Amino acid sequence: MWAMISKEFRELRRDRRTVAMMIVLPIVLLVVFGYAANFKVSDIPAVVVGPGASQAAAMLPEPTFRVTEVDPAADRSAAEARLRDGKAVVAVVTGAGVPLILMDGSQLFSVQTAEAALGKVARDAGVSPRVEILYNKDLSTSWVMVPGLAGLILVFIGTLITSLGVVRERQAGTLEQLAVMPFRAWDVIVGKIAPYLIVAAVDLVVIVVIGMAVFHVPFAGNVGPFTLGAALFLLVTLGMGVLVSTVSQNQGQAIQLAFMLVLPQVLLSGLIFPVSSMAIGVRWISYVLPLTYFIEISRGVMLKAMPITDLWEPIGLLAVLAVAVLGLAVFRFRRDLAPGSRKDRAAVRAQEPVAS
Amino acid sequence: MKWGLRDVDAARGRDLVLTGVTVPVDPSCVTVVVGGDGAGKSTCLEVLVGLLAVRSGTVLRPPKERIGYVPATAGLYADLTVQENLDFSAKAYGLSGRAYRQQADRLLEQTGLGPARRRLGGQLSGGMQRKLAVGMALLHAPDLLVLDEPTTGVDPVSRAELWRLISGAAAAGTAVAVSTTYVNEAARAAVVVLLEAGKVAASGSPAQILDGFPGALGVMDGAERPAGLAWRRGITWRVWDPAGALPMGARPVVPDFEDAVVAATLASAHPGPGR
Amino acid sequence: MRCLAETQAASRCFGQFTAVSKVDLAVRPGEVLGLLGANGAGKTTLIRLLLGLLRPSDGTVGLFGESPSIETRRRVGYVPQTLGLYASLTVAENWDFTSAAFRNHRAPLPESISAWKKELVGSLPLGAQRQVAFAVALSHRPELLVLDEPTSGVGPLGSARLWEGIRRAATAGAGALVTTHNMEEAEQCDRLMIMADGKVVAAGTSADITAGRAVAEVRAEEWSRAFALLDGSRFPVQLHGTMLRVGSQPAAVSALLSRAGISATVESVPANLEEAFVAIVARPAGA
Repeated sequence: MWAMISKEFRELRRDRRTVAMMIVLPIVLLVVFGYAANFKVSDIPAVVVGPGASQAAAMLPEPTFRVTEVDPAADRSAAEARLRDGKAVVAVVTGAGVPLILMDGSQLFSVQTAEAALGKVARDAGVSPRVEILYNKDLSTSWVMVPGLAGLILVFIGTLITSLGVVRERQAGTLEQLAVMPFRAWDVIVGKIAPYLIVAAVDLVVIVVIGMAVFHVPFAGNVGPFTLGAALFLLVTLGMGVLVSTVSQNQGQAIQLAFMLVLPQVLLSGLIFPVSSMAIGVRWISYVLPLTYFIEISRGVMLKAMPITDLWEPIGLLAVLAVAVLGLAVFRFRRDLAPGSRKDRAAVRAQEPVAS
Repeated sequence: MKWGLRDVDAARGRDLVLTGVTVPVDPSCVTVVVGGDGAGKSTCLEVLVGLLAVRSGTVLRPPKERIGYVPATAGLYADLTVQENLDFSAKAYGLSGRAYRQQADRLLEQTGLGPARRRLGGQLSGGMQRKLAVGMALLHAPDLLVLDEPTTGVDPVSRAELWRLISGAAAAGTAVAVSTTYVNEAARAAVVVLLEAGKVAASGSPAQILDGFPGALGVMDGAERPAGLAWRRGITWRVWDPAGALPMGARPVVPDFEDAVVAATLASAHPGPGR
Repeated sequence: MRCLAETQAASRCFGQFTAVSKVDLAVRPGEVLGLLGANGAGKTTLIRLLLGLLRPSDGTVGLFGESPSIETRRRVGYVPQTLGLYASLTVAENWDFTSAAFRNHRAPLPESISAWKKELVGSLPLGAQRQVAFAVALSHRPELLVLDEPTSGVGPLGSARLWEGIRRAATAGAGALVTTHNMEEAEQCDRLMIMADGKVVAAGTSADITAGRAVAEVRAEEWSRAFALLDGSRFPVQLHGTMLRVGSQPAAVSALLSRAGISATVESVPANLEEAFVAIVARPAGA
């Protein structure tokens, strides 16, 4: 029996991917829960407008709030614009009577923290401000989660399932045959990815529709920017799936690697824990995850009706990621499919004509 | 030669896997590349169909649409039925309509897979899978058929049926290249290329290779390994001296093709002085 | 002489399906018995019966004179087709594991494989892997070897080297049961047993099995036409270079060819083992 144990250990030691999972995973989880998971938010960006701006601003306690703008000349609509942009989560509009506090309901946890903090401030000051929660007035969790989950499903299909589909080809030995058949490498790549693209798109529509029908999540904005964001996001995740397949020899390895790529996205993309509340040392990871940007887009369009002009940043970044990831994936995949390349053809052409 | 490799050097990464290899493949002929594991057989065929680039030498092959290739892992789709596998191959090579259906039916009959038309590829036995894979490669009547170890591990009945398919292709004018580890398959080729460690140890028709057997071959009994070059055959030993001087106690014997192959492999692995 | 492994009229059924039917088998010390058959012929089930992994539905199975059990299994060296080695462990580690499993602790690594001591099994070429698997199976000095396709994929020289090891074990008194699809390997065995549909359809030496069997050898200028004609008429024909070998009566072959106006010489030659095998299995004994 001891022989079995020691043999199993020795085998395990050599299986690098499993070892990575056993060591990297606990570390990731620890880091995430240590530094990223934070339901209590601080550094909530706030703007204060209206005549009494300066005094009001002084009353907002740090570090809970981070006042980014104090503009006595601006009015409510300017404040709302800031909220919609995502530049602020809380806006205090001072004026003639009781101050009005606007909050971005799509930032659920920030708003909850802000409410508690402001409540205390108000009680201490003996003021009773009006509070208006925009974009998600009942602070419904499902309104915030459904757009995020849409992205998560796309990540699963895009990365995990696509990688399995391609690796299966490699395992079965049919990839070599495809390379010899009269297909261009491009035909094979598009042929492999297209079904997953279509299925993922259908899934996305289903989730959004169910979210709207069952949980009454609104679709306040334009379908255009949403579709564009979704399409780019899918290209990135599918590209990652193909990349995973080019470094995996079998489905087990593909699952392990895809899983290690998907897990950080679940935890660090702002799906559950707000990005702004993550320690800076961990927050940079969110900024390289595609899901982070898709969630910005999906929440922005569905809850806040953000126009495309305000979304150029996440869309642009997704576009860059798509080009980079997909480009690398196609490059590596082509190498697997057509290694007998230019040099070989030159040798053939130079000596004797290829009979037709 | 119409197709094949001429004086090819090929490498995988930094390792040179083929050195000065020539493999002629002509229409109506079966060329068999034979050798042990790691000798370079698969590499030769991969170079022939364009899966691997050469460092030097020439490769002659028809365009992709005129090639039929079956890799060592018998590429077919386990999750598709026999019919669907054939359909895919047909579409890839641009076959359709009645011509395709007739050809497909004929192949299914020849391979005995007719009754299994709707069975999933993954549910077929090893021999049937190989037959299907070869059928898929023959569907478009290629000029060059390349099969990488099509019969390794296959039971003798299926192996005979596979060779009938292969023979049929050659009889119909196709140029066929097959790699194998079985010497008796090499014996039925028109041209044999024996590979050892990436080099050609012997080449020619089986009769030519046998005629070229150098030295003397003998048979010895006994449990102990005789001195010199020797190998087991059943309960006896074969002993060989390229210079023609058999050891004491050895009875001379006429070499057969298997002897010629083993001797050539030994000679290639340990080139003696003055050879 | 005492049998190492023996079955008498052994049968095994799985529900309605008879995998092995009334098989008599015997392996004596010092001999190598080759077991051939198409897939599904019952070879694997028969071996499982011998090793005690299955019990017979009928008949008797004896391993070293007793019913197969875990104790008697200890005296068997088994090498499956997949080698039974751990690819991600070194040769030495595989050796240690098997030695410990057979309570043969700290046995020294044999000379033949010591050069690869620290190599990962997965990184060795196939011939070397098979050598290692064989050495590992011999590590506890078994009296009976059961080898499943021991030289598959290795090529003629590697195969001869492996058979040296098998013969050495046999000369030292062990017996070996070898299953194979490879005709050269079958010729290396002392005796053969051919199975089809669970029954033994032929037994004896290679010479016994090919005795009295002939094929028609056809030499023709228009060999490709001849082939197409014979193949199309369902004659079992094989191509050898430009010569044809047909598993039928020469008279029938001659008649067909001359009717089609193909001039050829047709003569009767002895069948080789593969041709005999195909003929026997296609028309089982008694059919």
